[in-house]
Amino acid sequence: MARSIWKGPFVDGYLLKKAEAARGSTRQEVIKIWSRRSTILPQFVGLTFGVYNGHKHIPVYVSEEMVGHKFGEFSPTRTFNGHAADKKAKRR
Amino acid sequence: MLRGGRKAPGRGHAAPRPDRPRDPKPPAGPARPRHAQTGGSPPAPAQPLPPNLVVLGEFGRPHGLAGELRLKSFTDEPKAVGSYGPLTGSDGRSYVLTHLRQAAGDQPDLLVVRVEGVTSREAAEALTRIRLHVPRETLGQPEEDEFFLTDLVGLAVEGPDGFAGRVVAVPDYGGGELLEIAVEGRRRTELLPFTKAFVPVVDIAGGRLAIAPPEGWLDEPTDEG
Repeated sequence: MARSIWKGPFVDGYLLKKAEAARGSTRQEVIKIWSRRSTILPQFVGLTFGVYNGHKHIPVYVSEEMVGHKFGEFSPTRTFNGHAADKKAKRR
Repeated sequence: MLRGGRKAPGRGHAAPRPDRPRDPKPPAGPARPRHAQTGGSPPAPAQPLPPNLVVLGEFGRPHGLAGELRLKSFTDEPKAVGSYGPLTGSDGRSYVLTHLRQAAGDQPDLLVVRVEGVTSREAAEALTRIRLHVPRETLGQPEEDEFFLTDLVGLAVEGPDGFAGRVVAVPDYGGGELLEIAVEGRRRTELLPFTKAFVPVVDIAGGRLAIAPPEGWLDEPTDEG
């Protein structure tokens, strides 16, 4: 069953405080979080979170398309690295 | 076992029948080459693999009786594996792929292909588990601030305070490309976002990149925040 709309999106309280503090600072940083269940809010766009997957913090750069999803969706707990082949990476 | 100690019919080891002749051995004589048995054309002689190859795919099991076989494509666009011309197999031979199509099922990187000169199932069977490569130069040059993953993997990493490591993978879990770095003197690998802020210098020709990691990047993670 989906979450009731009147409740609004769920976000852990400590995460909002950390994001606010990161917005205030000028240097680039990875905000380490453990809350995989929190919803990604519009005010998180442009920040980089390190989402814990049980082993390490996976850096997640939040873009507009991620809003509404949960942080845990971008930090897999089981990983498989395929072959590089002809794949490219773009430096943002 | 049935009641009364009798064995169920058809179960257990059958006793050898002395009247039945054993499997006849093939007549002795000069062995026929594999391509003559399978109906395919003679393959080119195996060559030692040149250096600087990039693996693009791997042959799987045969598909049907006409010489088609499965191919696991590792390329960004699965069917692009057929656009690089003749591919070098891990056995040193050259293979040309024709008639690529997606295999049934929900794996987009699994193709069914024909290989030039392979016309029977037996010939296709002989290709299973052969990996296909192209020379790195065939991939061409990427655009500005774009890098082939194959170029990034293996680069030496230099950081502040004498930090040293090596790129082992470039994963992307949906939150942007990351550099997985094996840090010298540690068993665990570390992940760093592949951005200009964290990775200001990428020198492919020099085989190195410089990083500016965030504070506490190398700290051991704990289970609770």
